[in-house]
Amino acid sequence: MESIQAIVAEAESAIANCRSTAELQAVESHYLGKKGAISQLLRQIGTLPPEQRPLFGQQVNEARAYIETRIAERREVLAQQEIAERLRAESLDITLPGVPLRPARLHPLTLTMRRVKQALLGLGFEFVEGPELERFEYNFGALNYPEDHPAMDAQNSFHVGDGWLLRTQTTAIQGRIFEEVQRGERSLPLRIAIIGRCFRYENVDATHSHTFHQVDAFMVDEGVSMAHLKGTLTQFARIMFGEEVRVRFRPDFFPFVEPGVDFAISWKGGWLELGGAGLIHPNILEHYGIDSERYSGFAFGLGIERIPMLQYGIDDLRLFLENDMRFLAQFPLL
Amino acid sequence: MRVPIDWLKDFVQFDLSADALAEKLTMAGLEVEEVLETPQGTVLSLYITPNRGDCLSIFGIAREVYALLGDACEPTPLFWRLNEWILQPPPVEPGETAQYARVEVLDPDLCPRYGARVIRGVKIAPSPAKVQNRLLAAGMRPISNIVDATNYVMLELGQPLHAFDLDTLHQQSIIVRRARPGERITTLDEREHALQPDMLMICDAERPVAVAGIMGGAETEVTENTRNILMESAHFNPLSIRRTSRALDLRTESSYRFERFVDPNLVVVAQFRVCELIEEWTGVAPVPGMLDVYPNPYPARTLHVRLSRAEQMLGFPIDPHEAEQTLARLNLKPSRTETGFEVQVPLYRPDLQREIDLIEELGRILGYERIPETPPAGTTTQGKDSPEGAFAERLRTILLSAGLQEVVSHTLEPENPFQTAGKGLSEQLYQPIMLRNPMSEELSFLRFSLLSSLVRTADYNRRRGIRDLHLFEIGRVFALGEQGYHEWLHLGILMTGNHHSPHWAEKPKPVDFYHLKGVVEHMLHALGIEARFLPVGDHDPRFHPGRSAYVHDKDDQRLGVIGEIHPNIAREYEFRQRVYVGEFSLNALRHAAAHTVAYRPLPIFPPVLRDIAILVPEEVPVGQLFDTIREVGGDWLESVQLFDRYTGSHIPEGLHSLAFSLVFRSRERTLTDEEVNQRVEQIFQALETRHGAVARR
Repeated sequence: MESIQAIVAEAESAIANCRSTAELQAVESHYLGKKGAISQLLRQIGTLPPEQRPLFGQQVNEARAYIETRIAERREVLAQQEIAERLRAESLDITLPGVPLRPARLHPLTLTMRRVKQALLGLGFEFVEGPELERFEYNFGALNYPEDHPAMDAQNSFHVGDGWLLRTQTTAIQGRIFEEVQRGERSLPLRIAIIGRCFRYENVDATHSHTFHQVDAFMVDEGVSMAHLKGTLTQFARIMFGEEVRVRFRPDFFPFVEPGVDFAISWKGGWLELGGAGLIHPNILEHYGIDSERYSGFAFGLGIERIPMLQYGIDDLRLFLENDMRFLAQFPLL
Repeated sequence: MRVPIDWLKDFVQFDLSADALAEKLTMAGLEVEEVLETPQGTVLSLYITPNRGDCLSIFGIAREVYALLGDACEPTPLFWRLNEWILQPPPVEPGETAQYARVEVLDPDLCPRYGARVIRGVKIAPSPAKVQNRLLAAGMRPISNIVDATNYVMLELGQPLHAFDLDTLHQQSIIVRRARPGERITTLDEREHALQPDMLMICDAERPVAVAGIMGGAETEVTENTRNILMESAHFNPLSIRRTSRALDLRTESSYRFERFVDPNLVVVAQFRVCELIEEWTGVAPVPGMLDVYPNPYPARTLHVRLSRAEQMLGFPIDPHEAEQTLARLNLKPSRTETGFEVQVPLYRPDLQREIDLIEELGRILGYERIPETPPAGTTTQGKDSPEGAFAERLRTILLSAGLQEVVSHTLEPENPFQTAGKGLSEQLYQPIMLRNPMSEELSFLRFSLLSSLVRTADYNRRRGIRDLHLFEIGRVFALGEQGYHEWLHLGILMTGNHHSPHWAEKPKPVDFYHLKGVVEHMLHALGIEARFLPVGDHDPRFHPGRSAYVHDKDDQRLGVIGEIHPNIAREYEFRQRVYVGEFSLNALRHAAAHTVAYRPLPIFPPVLRDIAILVPEEVPVGQLFDTIREVGGDWLESVQLFDRYTGSHIPEGLHSLAFSLVFRSRERTLTDEEVNQRVEQIFQALETRHGAVARR
């Protein structure tokens, strides 16, 4: 029988000779495993006289603890060596390009419409939807256009069937909303907004298109004035264009408002016309049975495309609906 | 309209620079688009809104300048004389004129007033140089003294005039009437027109000699041999002029003004003025008297404006003296009442109909810069998005997370195979809608399906070398059905080219049907919609019959359709790569979408995992195998995934090997291996008996 000391010495040398954690694993099971050298020793305990047994047992256990400690120490050393080797071997060229995701973004018009919508929602407006294929009556007649008036010349329309056209302005929603008021489906006061596509028979160039987008908002309440219009437009313009922006009114003519103005914002040292506005014509309110002495309202509308053109410096309106990926890839994701 | 500054100064003297004046006018609603330096001097180019026909003349602008500048300008004696005449024209008598000409108005509804004077023995010659220069500055070509005089007065006062060669008029007669069937006229521009019975004509005893208010006829025009003139000055119905001008495609300085209403008093004033100028330039005085047919004079109108109402509407305080002065300078002759002013509206301001119009006049002359910025008071309302708009926003976020790029494309489109081949989202029959007045063939239809514009977008980009496209669009489509016009909001998806961007680490992999289906499943899952995919087969010729599916919700409502576009259509667009598309109804998706989400507690007991493999004939739809596995797996089967599909060597022809990964778990207790094995065995048996599968154990 080998002496405990001999086994420990042999194990110590074997541990020191291990060159990998795998080799160490084998050494460990050779000495400390179920059928390992230490277990063999313990099995001999029965052959000893009873009085020697406690001491022998203690010595074997000390030997086992000693070997365990040596193995643990060696394992740590080997593990560190192996990690160091792995790190050396695994070094990447971090200048190689990353795996690209698919380029997916929202369209710049959507981004703008989202901003406009957020601004008007914050000002208490409720958004509604209206048809793009609209009745002539809602597009013009309900908006106080005199029959066949030159005011319609600026709004040459695409006709579909008798009395149907592609709406030339989102303002066409007004009559539909006032009918809801008349039928008792809505009540005053009102703050309504609509955002959507409009069409005019107009030749296409860098600043004109037969297809474009508009936002319209209107409010009806007791005592609504031009000052409320200016106040609301100023708030809206500041959300959209910055805290420093001021709003200027200039008289203009739209059959559905009186007084009618176009509104401009202060921009790069000058004034930039953005859209049309005014007080809802009392003829319209009265037509829908609303007491125009008690109630008044304002309305304003502006083109959507103008906003990203200013914001991003886009010089050609046609780019928006062409969907060239090289164009669309230039805008923020959200 | 072009306003030469030196001409304007015939009426008002002022010290302002042209730019300063332009700014003033613009801020009062008379937009100066450009200040031009011409060889004839400085000219303002103005855009006049369609409600202000009274400003389509130098004198009309002078009136505005006076109203705006007040004491800062000095109206001339000529201004005051013309202003008085326009407000109260001097009475006229036919006098000797009746001996030389006759006027009859048969249709006074379209011609409420017709005035004529006669000038005898003129010599046609060029007009004075100063006059020619002014006409040029205003953008008109000088022709001869008589024609120039009519144009000069039109530009000066806004009343279109027409000079006839009196000797070419049969019986020296003017008869104003609607055209008779079959009548024709050749106008000054040498164009011949067939006339419709609703068109108003100036005729002589036999034939039309001018299209009323629009253009004279070639046969009665003033030529170098003309000696005797009949000068026409009339007032026409704006609507009639507009319709005739459009029907004949004849737009003139004259029709432009008559469409916008010309002051009926100018009929007399312009006659006085034009004869005065002709006498001054040629020395020939008109025949005394004037023929004036005006059976139903326009009534005078008065309006009242309350100062408190004006202040309330405009939102700023108004000094009563300032208001009175402003109204007076606008020729409104205000008189004070207890609450405001009563005003007399001149005939040249048909746009002033009611109190609010006067309030606007006060506002625009006093200046809108006085309006303060006041946030609306009173009841506040809750801002909210429309249900459709909010859902579209939700969908955009989901599709963005699926790696699709949003596009926004045109509604107007050419005829295309995606419209003629049916719609796919409904069993009903719909027709595409064609415009009555398209700008071109390319823009003649309303979009019938989003697929056409998506495919055009893919085509556009492919021609620019961009072939890998993963797109979506949310937009309206239109159709004509039995119930009339329809308009729907749709979602369109297009995927083509390679699935991922080119990269050194991964081989390119072309998009296939299952990539598209994966995106759709991602979307449906995110919306909480349980959907079924049903083969389209040959029901929709836009799709590859073996690679397309209808998507139905659990109530069997059709949500949309997806698939590879039919090779015949791909060929039309010259696509060599496969193109996968899908189209969904937003309304259907919105109604099918889960509105609430209920949280389920996370599992407590461990899962038991089993992978199973089978050999099964390829023609058995895998969806049916899933159904069987789920049915037999019962409540314990938490999930089933297909993780491998293999055909080829070692697999008999016509079969494929499928490997599923099953997760079993009970919500009540830990499952034992034995009971799970038993369940797996039942699944194998069902797959064998129902689908002819062979277990690969």
